[in-house]
Amino acid sequence: MSILTNGEPGKRYLLMGNEAIARGALEAGVSVCAGYPGTPSSEIIESLSKVAGNRNLYVEWSTNEKVSMEVAAAASFAGLRAMCPMKQNGVNVGSDFLLHLALSGTRGGMVIVPCDDPGALSSINEGESRQFARLLEVPLLEPGDFQEAKGITRWAFELSEELHSMVFVRSVTRLSHASGNVEFGELPQVNPKAGFKHDGFILDEMEGIITSAPVDYKHGLQHAKLKKAVERFENSPFNTYQGPEHPELILVTSSACNFYCREAIGLLDAGDRVGLLKLATTWPLPPKLIEKYLSMTDRFFVVEEVIPFTEENLKILAQEMAPRIGIKTIMGKRDGKLPMVGELNPDIVTQALAGLLGLEYKPQPDDYVQRSREIVTRAPNRELTFCPGCPHRASFWTINNVLKMDNRQGFVCGDIGCYTLSTLPTGFSASKTLHAMGSGTGVASGFGKLKQFGMDQPVLSVCGDSTFFASALPALFNAVHNQSDITMVLLDNSGTAMTGFQTHPGLKTGAMGQEVPAISIEAVCRSIGAKVKISDPFDIESTRNALFELLEENGVNVLILKQICTLSPEKKAKKKFEVRVMAEKCLGESCGCGRLCTRIFRCPGLIWNKDKGKAEINDVICIGCGVCGSICPNAAIEKKEVA
Amino acid sequence: MTNIQLSQDPYNLIIAGVGGQGNVLASRVVGNMLSRKGLTVTIGETFGGTQRGGSVMSHLRISSGSAFSPLIPRGKADMIIGLEPTDTLRVLGTYGNPDVKTICNMRPIHPVQVISGEPSYPDLEDAKNWIRELSRDAWFLDATDVAMEMGAAILGNIILIGALAGLNELPLDREDFENAIGLTFSGEKVQVNLAAYDKGIEMIARNGR
Amino acid sequence: MQVYGSKELVEDVLNKDLCIGCGACVDLCPYFKTYKGKTAMIFPCTVQQGRCHAYCPKTESDLTELSMSLFGKPYDGSPMGHHEKILIARAGDKVHPAPFQAGGAVSALVTFAMKNGMVDAAVLTGRTGLIPYAELVTESESVARFTTSKYMAAPTLSAFNQGVKQGFQKIGVVGTPCQMTALAQMSINPLHTENFKDSVALKIGLFCTWALDTRKLAAYLSSRLDITGIKAMDIPPPPAEILVLDMGGKTIEIPLSEIRPLVPRTCLLCPDMTSEWADVSVGVLEGEPKFNTLIIRTRTGQDLVDKAVAQGFLTIREMPAVNLDHLSAAASNKKKRALAGAMEEGLLNTAENGKRAMMRIEKAVVERILA
Repeated sequence: MSILTNGEPGKRYLLMGNEAIARGALEAGVSVCAGYPGTPSSEIIESLSKVAGNRNLYVEWSTNEKVSMEVAAAASFAGLRAMCPMKQNGVNVGSDFLLHLALSGTRGGMVIVPCDDPGALSSINEGESRQFARLLEVPLLEPGDFQEAKGITRWAFELSEELHSMVFVRSVTRLSHASGNVEFGELPQVNPKAGFKHDGFILDEMEGIITSAPVDYKHGLQHAKLKKAVERFENSPFNTYQGPEHPELILVTSSACNFYCREAIGLLDAGDRVGLLKLATTWPLPPKLIEKYLSMTDRFFVVEEVIPFTEENLKILAQEMAPRIGIKTIMGKRDGKLPMVGELNPDIVTQALAGLLGLEYKPQPDDYVQRSREIVTRAPNRELTFCPGCPHRASFWTINNVLKMDNRQGFVCGDIGCYTLSTLPTGFSASKTLHAMGSGTGVASGFGKLKQFGMDQPVLSVCGDSTFFASALPALFNAVHNQSDITMVLLDNSGTAMTGFQTHPGLKTGAMGQEVPAISIEAVCRSIGAKVKISDPFDIESTRNALFELLEENGVNVLILKQICTLSPEKKAKKKFEVRVMAEKCLGESCGCGRLCTRIFRCPGLIWNKDKGKAEINDVICIGCGVCGSICPNAAIEKKEVA
Repeated sequence: MTNIQLSQDPYNLIIAGVGGQGNVLASRVVGNMLSRKGLTVTIGETFGGTQRGGSVMSHLRISSGSAFSPLIPRGKADMIIGLEPTDTLRVLGTYGNPDVKTICNMRPIHPVQVISGEPSYPDLEDAKNWIRELSRDAWFLDATDVAMEMGAAILGNIILIGALAGLNELPLDREDFENAIGLTFSGEKVQVNLAAYDKGIEMIARNGR
Repeated sequence: MQVYGSKELVEDVLNKDLCIGCGACVDLCPYFKTYKGKTAMIFPCTVQQGRCHAYCPKTESDLTELSMSLFGKPYDGSPMGHHEKILIARAGDKVHPAPFQAGGAVSALVTFAMKNGMVDAAVLTGRTGLIPYAELVTESESVARFTTSKYMAAPTLSAFNQGVKQGFQKIGVVGTPCQMTALAQMSINPLHTENFKDSVALKIGLFCTWALDTRKLAAYLSSRLDITGIKAMDIPPPPAEILVLDMGGKTIEIPLSEIRPLVPRTCLLCPDMTSEWADVSVGVLEGEPKFNTLIIRTRTGQDLVDKAVAQGFLTIREMPAVNLDHLSAAASNKKKRALAGAMEEGLLNTAENGKRAMMRIEKAVVERILA
């Protein structure tokens, strides 16, 4: 029962941007959707997986983004409409395939939906997928509100099918993860028959073989497609202009920045002075449309996230048009009017616009600003921490202790997942490198070969179960084959926990809830010749012993630390232990303890009672993992198994 | 669309709290209730690790016209619903103004630094005074305590929705609530949520508890 | 003695590579751990004055304070420290024969002290492969498992700390000079704790010229032979200049010149060869491989030796004068070298600028030693 399929055409519903994209795909008659989880994109597949049954859809969580693109492309090759959503990093992961797909062309509508994360709100980079559209030479569309998220997605399928080229629909966190009203259109009755034609004329796009060669021919073809895309873009209703006929200044924007521009114009009451050109077709820019607006005034201010992508493209066109329309002043990021890094917001845009219009904008009265600043300093900040009873806290506790005791400056190469927080105090700052998915093990594989140059530090990598399948496997194979000396600690919490427990190849359930075969991480590691040990991270002693043993071994070792995520729906919040602090035994701040549990271990389930000088358990928050009971130096924390 | 005249257009509502307090659900329910009335609603969320003890804030832009930015500009909140006292203060600092109204749940959730004994959490009476100082009107509810009496701390968010409805600033009515909560829950849970909603109306009528 | 916390201990000892890994700071708290002969702090601790710092023999040990407290007289810098008597000894008939290093006097004294009730537990040092480990022994029958020298820095005192935690009140410890120094510092109640109880009932000190770094020795030997085959190790008294490895059936000799680089630098700064803070100190005897040298320093030591002899656990003889001279010369040399080195590094007596030292000795005494 989902609004996505139950909603009535013509009516408006409050949808998340990602749901609007999903609805757009449904209205376009999408058949196959594949992706890899990643904030802010995951809800597109999640919402489609819930309606897969009643729409004859095939939805899958693929092992990584590149594979998901290949899966979706196959559907397109077989004549179906296919969509592939991902977070911005996903485009990097799949770019090798995409570069070839751009030349090989597609058949059924093929839409790539990268969801960028300006400001890196839930990422560790703010990379731009728009660059890829230019690199791959494929059309790029950017919805500027929720209704457009749906409408443009739908249109993207038609465009893709007309051009025989994949089309990018680029979203951002503030659109994907925000909600707004969307009016529904009709859901088509589709019953497509899939079939792959491959024995026609070799260069026939619809019936020949699908390949990027011969390259010069296919590359030329791709440029012809782009030309056609530009023709469509010239007349696209999704490119809009609002404002006076002869404005002092035109704001040029796209995506979520459209909201900020409108807000800024409203806040400054500048609607009769400036115009707003909101572009949805940002690559390639349609030159006739651009010339029309460039001719309207002399000053332009491009508002976009993150890199000055449209600004640069616009400047190229303006230069080419200069003999006809004169020299234009195009402002934005390159001249420092807007920051080159981080996400924008209504305030940044309003202040910048106020500056350009010679206005002063003060969002709050001075005395209010001053007083609230004094008051807010009294509110302690909330730092990021592993959840109460998180297995990662226990895992990194042991990893830290073992490496410190081992005393050879051993270190951890970190990776992507909740355990990324292990670079912070909540993970005892154990991880010392952090890059892309699977890079921890790849970087470790390199470190592990440096003995010949005198490096004798133990090298560890950490990797989650989902990350293992997504991208750590090639790195692990590399380490085994090239005889690197590393220990990979596999933090297996039985799900893609960080993004909301999506399935992965190690689990028995597929994206649509169906039963599927699970692949054993242990068996995979053993089969390639790694030494494998398995431990429960909550069992501190046996985990420590296992890790010490592996650190003595050369070659590739894998320590699988298996404990289900505390938040997992399967866990059902059942406590294993009732935990309590025996106050009379708690050493508190004195020599011999120094508040180990609340000062260092810092599980939110523990409270330091300043007045009593004793630790306590917060019963509401404690999930009963019992780990604090194992680490207390004076056995003051009692754990009783819950019957 | 709609003929509804809002006291402010857009009317800017912030629901702020800590990950796990049901903040996102509350904003979605309020959004759906108002959306049913034909109003245009935009909801933005800011989060710093929603399930990991971080601050979570939902911005609701409510208008009889078009969609607004999912982020409210600085100083432009009309109403702040705070599920946690110090988070309420932080939100007031950024989005408050001398005309803002505030409903605050007085159950503190101590950040991990406080738990671990470093900075101290402010005295709750001080917090109330500061919230009053930064708001035109402020109501303080022990929503979590009442919710726990009703069987689940998480119902605190629904009590606060009831309280907001009780202030009659926005066209929020019981039927729309029932419908909106029905999108997430069914059966007995709807009844429990309705009871919490009613409790909130009752509590705000007594000007807090 | 000025007592600080773990921060200063790390700065002054661990970071300056002065830690010998004696185990005095280990198992008092969750922060200091020992692994394969090395001590590490696994998390920072904020306690301002800690036992870890107070007990460490490499923080500024005040030898005058120790001497006053243990022997009732100031530290005078004499080569073999304060002593009542110097004898030679070997295990008596009552002791089961075992593969002793020399005369078996240590095993004899520990066994006797346990049987006699003088101690309720003994802290001894064993070896697994090349890794020394500490154990708290409560049965006198177990003592035989710990015979023969280890020649490696060992975390012996961690087992003592565990014994105190477990509630043992009369603990005997066999250890090196640095460990005896730590025990002496423990027994003077450096933190002025209320209801202080000294759990050290007997200190049997070993002679020590230097120890070897556990990890370096393991790395050195394992690159040359199968270390699992090593049954025992011996460094015969001068002028042999060799390390002898008993490989079970055959022996391997390694010149000391190759081994000396494996000596931690902290040993070269140690002025104590004969365990001057022990109740009784035991070493080998030049020229007589089946005898030990015995230095009795305290009434406890004297009492133990008298009773052990009376009950047939120990046989004693007078020390030949020539041996005494050699021993004194060797001990004096170690002292001189150490003090000269410590002075050069600014580690002798905390300076006016606050740079913290590793030992404190009256100026006049220093001059006398170096003269």
